[in-house]
Amino acid sequence: MKFDLEIDGQTRKVDISPSATSGQWQMQIDGEPVEADACLLRPGVLSLLVHGQSHRVVLDADLANASANGDSADPALHLGAHRIEWRAEDPRSFRRRRRHAGTDGPITLKASMPGRVVRILVAKGDTVAAHQSVLVLEAMKMQNELKSPKEGRVIDLRVAPGDTVSSGQPLAIVE
Amino acid sequence: MRKVLIANRGEIALRLIRACRELGLPTVAVFSDADRAGLHVLAADEAFRLGPAPATESYLRGDLILDIARRTGADAIHPGYGFLSENAAFAESCEHAGIKFIGPPASAMRALGSKTRARQAADQAGMPRTPGSVHGLASLDEALTVAANIGYPVMLKAAAGGGGKGMRAITSPADLPSAFTSAQSEAERAFGSGEVYLEKLIERPRHIEIQILADEHGHCVYLGERECSVQRRHQKVIEEAPSAVVGPDLRQRMGEAAVCLALAAGYTNAGTIEFLVDPDQNFYFLEMNTRLQVEHPVTELVTGYDLVHLQIRIAQGAPLPFAQQDVHLRGHAIECRVYAEDPDNAFMPSPGRITRLLQPGGPGIREDCGIYEGWVVPMDYDPMLSKLIAFAPTRELAIARLLRALDEYVIGGIRTNLGLFRRILRDPDFQTARIDTGYLDRLLASGLSSRPEFSQSENGAEGSAVPIIATAAAAIFEATRPTPVTPTAPPANAWKSAARTEAVRDFNGKARS
Repeated sequence: MKFDLEIDGQTRKVDISPSATSGQWQMQIDGEPVEADACLLRPGVLSLLVHGQSHRVVLDADLANASANGDSADPALHLGAHRIEWRAEDPRSFRRRRRHAGTDGPITLKASMPGRVVRILVAKGDTVAAHQSVLVLEAMKMQNELKSPKEGRVIDLRVAPGDTVSSGQPLAIVE
Repeated sequence: MRKVLIANRGEIALRLIRACRELGLPTVAVFSDADRAGLHVLAADEAFRLGPAPATESYLRGDLILDIARRTGADAIHPGYGFLSENAAFAESCEHAGIKFIGPPASAMRALGSKTRARQAADQAGMPRTPGSVHGLASLDEALTVAANIGYPVMLKAAAGGGGKGMRAITSPADLPSAFTSAQSEAERAFGSGEVYLEKLIERPRHIEIQILADEHGHCVYLGERECSVQRRHQKVIEEAPSAVVGPDLRQRMGEAAVCLALAAGYTNAGTIEFLVDPDQNFYFLEMNTRLQVEHPVTELVTGYDLVHLQIRIAQGAPLPFAQQDVHLRGHAIECRVYAEDPDNAFMPSPGRITRLLQPGGPGIREDCGIYEGWVVPMDYDPMLSKLIAFAPTRELAIARLLRALDEYVIGGIRTNLGLFRRILRDPDFQTARIDTGYLDRLLASGLSSRPEFSQSENGAEGSAVPIIATAAAAIFEATRPTPVTPTAPPANAWKSAARTEAVRDFNGKARS
């Protein structure tokens, strides 16, 4: 089974085949063979032995369940104290990877979490400096200022004070 | 006392229910629509719905809570911390309804609960306090005048405040107008009172507080101090007892001042007097918290007393079962407040489903916790998940024990500040107790991430490949995991179905060869 693993932003080519003993995997990472013994203790919790070194691997979520529950689609695992964000892709699928937007062109400020708009600090048409506060969002009893990621002009304001917003909802557009 | 209503939620509700059960008292829980699946509902003997998720329609509805108490025959209410715990009007309603409020009388709360009134009380008791106003500010103009008189930098605070809400540090008059408005609105929303006041900002202070207990027969004792200097945005992050800089002499002077203030105000039950201590060991009265504190466990561990048991005993009218000379401190305790927030993203709250939970245990570890695997952390309340507390003979060993427990702790599905505690506890300044209330902000500004690097040296020559092997193992278990068949099964992930087909083909291939 061959796939690309994206680990904390870096892509690795992995080829895994199960060996005769259960839990033992023959693995090639970027063409280099490695041996590892992985044992599933309970859903989401793996004991991993690599050259006798013991590691605990905890998967944040089952991917299928996560999307069904509307939870974070951003899979992560915990290797000891280390949190790794990862994605696996079958190279045969032609699904495009999402690219991070640059700072050219209009940028949409989105709510990073569900909350309520307390105040709007700019008006449509205003010019804003980079890192200037655009609006104040209250969530979990704390007020957080949302700042413009770049210098530009506010070309659209999509919310008003008092509005309840959901995570990812567009709030303002800066060009 | 026959039955206790617990007017709170989360970890503190559970902690109170446990104490009641230990004392043979049945409990009544209350819950909002966001908390039907909360652990406190499960743990209590009875549980009743209050209303919709917002606290103003549920946990702050004293009228509904009193109704439930009457209906269930509860003759005492424990308010925990936050919500109605420092609401004198609610304590008074309880008194009128003949229901014992487990806390101080309404009169003492009025005298000490508001920070401005407490400052007046401190003046009367002759206790040193920070310079500034002793009344709420009527207008921005008044604020500007007071600030100019005491001199910048100043601190703007909510009179009804707690937990850093409605609080702003101001360095120049230009910053005052916007801070004044936002502090008022935040205070109004959080506490139902927009009263704010100003005090002089003490540079590089340590936050040290004294726990007191007063019975209803005029006895009052202090149970040593807690140091809570590790703060972010005036919110306590790590608390410990005892403080590394408080010796027997300073402890006695601060303790006696605290007892004096409590007795003068007719205070009963558990309370905390907060002080700022400057580098020359001068202490200044900051405020009094007329309730059980979040960080009470560290005091319990070093004194050996159960503060909630004693709160209930005092409310039952019993005299304190010990005197000041019986209070001895032993060992060292440190508490971490574990929050659903993302230290890598400006500490934004991170509500959501806890998909995995591995909890620490073993010697000297106490976890006061209100969460479980599968629980959805609501966005409606404070994002504290649990308190992880270590107790050991020395501060050094308590730090080592806490680090060990943090390595055992996994909370998956949401972001938490667990990584931040690993970083603080390994920091040489924290380890040598060179801390003040600005310590954590300076550490965070130093720019290093709280995400630990997987170090090759610790994990042998093959160490650098381990994250890749771990991820690959996770991917293969994920890919070959049987999917539960449900009518609403989501569309299969493209790579996953391809991977599964491939895996089956491999097994078939092996079977044929």
